[in-house]
Amino acid sequence: MQEPPLIDRRLAFVLGKGGVGKTAVAAALGLGLADAGHRTLLVEVGAETRTQALFGIAPALDDPVQVRPGLFALTVDAELATQEYLSLQLKVRPLVEMMSRSRAFHQVTQAAPGLAELVTLGKIWDLATTVQGGAPLWDRLVVDSPATGHGIALLEAAGNARELAGSGPIRDQADAIEKVIRHPAATGIAVVATPEDLAVTEAAEAVGILRARGMPVACAVANAVRRSQFSPADAEALRAVLADPAAGDPERAAAHAAIAVADGAAHDAREVDGLARESGLPVAVLPHVPDLAPGSGGLEALSAALMSDPAVRGSA
Amino acid sequence: MNNAFDLVEVLEGRRVVVVAGAGGVGKTTVSAALALGLAARGARVAVITIDPARRLASALGIDDLGDTPHRVDPARVEAAGIHMTGTLDALQLDPQATFDRLVAREAPDDAARERILRNRIYRHLSTSVAGAQEFMAVERLHELVDSGAYDAVVLDTPPARNALDFLDAPERMTRFVEGRGLRLLLGPRSGAGRTGWRALQAGGHMVMSVVERLTGAQLLTDISEFLQSFDGMYQGFSERAAAVRYLLASDSARFVVVTGPRPEPAGEAIALWRRLRDDRYPLGAVVVNRVHPEPAGEGAPPVGLAGLLRAAGAADPDGLAARAAGALEAARARSAADRHEIRSIAGALDAPPITTVPALQDDPVEVAGLARVTRELEGG
Repeated sequence: MQEPPLIDRRLAFVLGKGGVGKTAVAAALGLGLADAGHRTLLVEVGAETRTQALFGIAPALDDPVQVRPGLFALTVDAELATQEYLSLQLKVRPLVEMMSRSRAFHQVTQAAPGLAELVTLGKIWDLATTVQGGAPLWDRLVVDSPATGHGIALLEAAGNARELAGSGPIRDQADAIEKVIRHPAATGIAVVATPEDLAVTEAAEAVGILRARGMPVACAVANAVRRSQFSPADAEALRAVLADPAAGDPERAAAHAAIAVADGAAHDAREVDGLARESGLPVAVLPHVPDLAPGSGGLEALSAALMSDPAVRGSA
Repeated sequence: MNNAFDLVEVLEGRRVVVVAGAGGVGKTTVSAALALGLAARGARVAVITIDPARRLASALGIDDLGDTPHRVDPARVEAAGIHMTGTLDALQLDPQATFDRLVAREAPDDAARERILRNRIYRHLSTSVAGAQEFMAVERLHELVDSGAYDAVVLDTPPARNALDFLDAPERMTRFVEGRGLRLLLGPRSGAGRTGWRALQAGGHMVMSVVERLTGAQLLTDISEFLQSFDGMYQGFSERAAAVRYLLASDSARFVVVTGPRPEPAGEAIALWRRLRDDRYPLGAVVVNRVHPEPAGEGAPPVGLAGLLRAAGAADPDGLAARAAGALEAARARSAADRHEIRSIAGALDAPPITTVPALQDDPVEVAGLARVTRELEGG
């Protein structure tokens, strides 16, 4: 069966080790999908926001905020999502308030393995499946997942809950969530790595874990890959300059800088190959973009590179 | 950029070195390099890594970096130009194994121990409860210090979204195991007599029945069992947390805060340093890792490059020279940006001891690369 490319799936999870640029990749994907005419929601998980630095607008905790035409951002916080879930289930306001204030309740939610992840995933599922006026509320959702371990825990939350909860409303909900999260026509996971050994290894391990549990991994993304405008012949001539006693400091420094660019690009190309080999996935390759601040055009460049990559848009 | 002081010397004689900072800044490498430096000066050193750092393990010649300390072969380090008069052991934190040992030590009897080890809540604890991993890391540190087998233990802290979580973990975990509010509702001997308690209980029972409706009864039974099985161990836990806090705040400890020369990790490093200072933890230094060195030539353009390339037989010497000049300009800009970032850290923290490590092509994969980082940390 031919699985659809990442950009055709309603729900995309962007996963990876801390510091590899997950937020930037998620934002670039969201931006590209919105530009392609999809009403898109960018979802951040957790209380801290990093999206703000990219768009100059802080996502709100309760209501999606428009950050670009057709692109909205929202932060999903486990505690708020729990309260929201309670209100939906209990429908009695004083009871909900009593629960929210209860220290014991907070301890139960903390102790219950994976409950925070479950309500977070439940909220994402709810957003992905909400229909308004006969049409889905969102054409696309892009989730900026927490760092690898926690990101996997998030994706597995519904499956784990089915085991732990036994029966009751949570079990039923978990079943419904699993149907969407595991379906490769609806959901796609993109695993991000920088061209560094540790990040590549961790990404490949994450892909292995997700695959073993039947999660729909769509592609890998190599972020911040350096490129070189120097050919091997160029590098050879530059090395000859370094060996030339007539070369002064500025000339040597320029030759060193150029050779470092060539070496860096060669190094990164090897890591990208390693990522493709170890993950067995199509790899989208993104350039190193030093400035992603709003107005710099950096995010737009990243988005253009991502959306044109066959690993993300499909080969057809 | 040469460093003004020798960080290994600053840390010499300390029993505990905690290496903290944002994720992805190279904490593991700095931890291992510092441990190597201390072992070179005669100490018996253990380094605890948190991330599965396979390349570091292979650099140290350890096949299987696990929960038990592995001795690093001195000949391997010698080959990299560092003579160890002490010893270096490395291990990787296994949170669950660490907690299992803690339970085994603190449990009043075998039956109690078995009850805990089998409990479902307990088995998910190291991944489900916020701060559990940090708690185990500190616990492992304590174990190794207590064992008396080491003069110094270097701890590479867990990658947290917020590096400050690490400091609060022991107390948070103790509070959780104590489970005050929950015990009252679930425990068999809860809330004796007083009216105030009873009122609280009435509301609490309603909370519990709602939870039960949502999750099914099994979860509450598990939690109740979990808390009951920790009865009598809470005291031990809380003493342990207090002892760790005392050790980390004492003069036997030093904190090293690692960052990269970029605004986000630097912001975390600044917040962490301030918090440590305000809470009177013993400060070592800020390490700025992966700093781009300043290219030679003092900013002068490489005017003679085209001629040199022509002499070297390059096909398009003018074009290549122009591109190389562009690469030099970019390298200078990067280096200037890094120095600017280091100055902002210094400014924000009233000139703390700052030491820098230059950017390498990749994180050290061989012990020689690690030895190079050690030498940089010793003052370059």
